[in-house]
Parts: sequence; C-alpha cells; structure tokens
Amino acid sequence: MKAYITAAVVSLIGLADAIYLTIEHVTGQSVRCTIVAGCSEVLSSPYAVVAGVPLALVGAGAYFGVFSLATLAASGYRIAGTLLTVLVLLMFLVSLWLFYLQAFVIHAFCQFCLLSAAVTTALTVIVLIGVILARKPR
Amino acid sequence: MKRLLPFILILLVLGAALGSAWYMTRSASNQNAPATATPVANGQEQQPAPLTGVPGAEPAYTLGPSTAPAKLEEFGDYQCPPCGLFHPILKQMHQEFGDKLYITFREFPLTPAHQHALAAASAAEAAGLQGKYWEMHDRLYEHQKDWSDQFDVRPIFEGYATDLGLDMNKYKRDVASEVVAQRIFLDGKRGHSLGVKGTPTVFLNGREVPFQSLPAETLRVLIQKEIDNGGK
Repeated sequence: MKAYITAAVVSLIGLADAIYLTIEHVTGQSVRCTIVAGCSEVLSSPYAVVAGVPLALVGAGAYFGVFSLATLAASGYRIAGTLLTVLVLLMFLVSLWLFYLQAFVIHAFCQFCLLSAAVTTALTVIVLIGVILARKPR
Repeated sequence: MKRLLPFILILLVLGAALGSAWYMTRSASNQNAPATATPVANGQEQQPAPLTGVPGAEPAYTLGPSTAPAKLEEFGDYQCPPCGLFHPILKQMHQEFGDKLYITFREFPLTPAHQHALAAASAAEAAGLQGKYWEMHDRLYEHQKDWSDQFDVRPIFEGYATDLGLDMNKYKRDVASEVVAQRIFLDGKRGHSLGVKGTPTVFLNGREVPFQSLPAETLRVLIQKEIDNGGK
C-alpha cells in the first residue's frame, strides 16, 4: 500500500520531466545549442523519435500509466498492482537501453533524460520492494 | 465516494498534465513569435520594436554593404551542430541577395558545453587579424565533424591557418592574445544584452528570427520581406 502511494508520487516527477522534454522537442527548442550540454545532441538524434512520435511523449504516457496504476493499486485493485510491476520493469529496460545509447552511441548525456532514468530506477526499486513485502507472511 | 477517489485523482493529474503542456507550448510559441509581421486590422503590418543591445566587437566581421536594407546578425558557436547546418544556408543567402543583405557574424562560444568552441572562435578571430576571417570561419564550419570530437584541436586549427597562408608566428601569438579574447567577450556581451541563450540565434533588422524559420526556404521569405519594406 505504502509502496504504491510512494510510486504514484515519484511517477509525478517523471511525468513532469517527460512533459517538459516533449514540449522542448515539439517546439524545436531542443535542437538549438545551449550553455547546457547534451540535450541538443540527444533530443535531435534519430533515437528521440519512435515511428514519428517523440520518445518523450511515450515516456509521459508511461509515467501517467504508472501514476494511474499505482493509485488504483493503492485503492485495492490487485490487477493494477500486477500491471504496474510489468509496466515499471518494461520502463526500466527501456531506460537501460536509452542510457546505453547516450553513453556509447550519441556520446552525450541530457540531464533531463538522466532524471527520467533515475525516476524509473527508483520506481523499479519501490515496486519490487512492494512485491517482496506483499509476499512476506505476516 | 472513496471508491471514486482514485479515478478523481487520475483525472486531476491528467488535467494538470494536459494544462501544463498547453501552457508550456503557448509560452514557447510566444517566445518564438515570428520576428516579422503580425497583420493588423487596417492592413498595415505591425512589427515588434527592433532590439539594439550593447555594441559587440568593432569592427565586426561582415559581408555585404552596411547600407543594405536587410541586416542579418548571427550569434554562432563553431562546435554547435545546428550552427554547422546553418552555415551553408547563410552562404546561400549571401549569394542570392548580394548587396541587399548585410551579414554580421558574432562569436558566441558555448563554454563549457562545447569544449573546443572557444578555441575555434579564437582561431577565427586570429585569422581575422590577418584578413582571413571568413576563410577560417568557412573552414571551421565545413570541417566541424573532423575536429569536434578530437582531444587536441590546436594542431588542427594551426593546419587550417597554414593552409590559408597565414603568418604562423603572428597567428600563434594572436590566438592567445588579449585582443582576440576581448573581441569574443564583447560579442558575447552583445549577445547576452539581446537575450541570446543558444546558438544559432539570428536577428534580422534587430528582430529575432524564430529557430523554426532558419531553413533556407523560410529565411529567404523573411529577408525578401525586409528588402521589400526597405529595412524599416
């Protein structure tokens, strides 16, 4: 229960971050070079778009999904808890892939993308702790 | 009511997310409001007041006559990839509009984001002291990919200077000179006074050109409009 509430709150950080990145992408701001290194290179790379959709928008949808499922799970919807675990693990795998792309393919890190990776990692830890605690006999 | 609470929370967050996205998009669009022409009721075109800012390095490196009706000023960083993409566009505009377009390039190296940007700006300025500014400028942009990822760019830039036939003793002195540093500083100061935050930032007759309007086909229209208006 507590793990789900924590996951819902943490997902809001990821949601805000992903919305910001989406707007940067859509308005073209991300393409210009700024004093902050990395985001221009990362967000203007071909990996920032999947089938014509900005990856940040997909991320925003995923974080909204996490918030919704965590809220429902905290309210006793058991299926939501299962779906939340699956979604968060999937997001974690995608984050690992994106981290690899930034480090070894694009050779630039965008701090907003790193924040998203940190949020997803935190969500994974929270959800896994929740699963372990739920299985422990009381 | 308790059963509805999670759904209410989800709807609230969805509303807040969509609302903030709409607000941020609107703010970004306002920031990027077209530099030219907003039509008004009487058929006249109303333009925002041109920005003046503090002076940059003088004399500036320019192309075209200063009396040209369209005056374009670019703040650029030699290591910035979009600046590299904009370079041939600006050259094309210079060729197309000839003496109707006055181009000024201002140094705006984004240090520390681009570790070699300052060295590149210094190389261009040092070449400029021997009358080869635009030649070095072109070479730095055209070979951007060759030096951007290198550890030590000094020998590469010295190679360009040698190719351009510069006096190498003078070049090596000038690259690290106070004169060159001061010129770059003054251009940066001018950029900051005009609100430049990234590169390339382009002003046309003192009004910022939205980043989305920098492709040749849209920039051409904006320049032509300024020429038709007589640069007013």
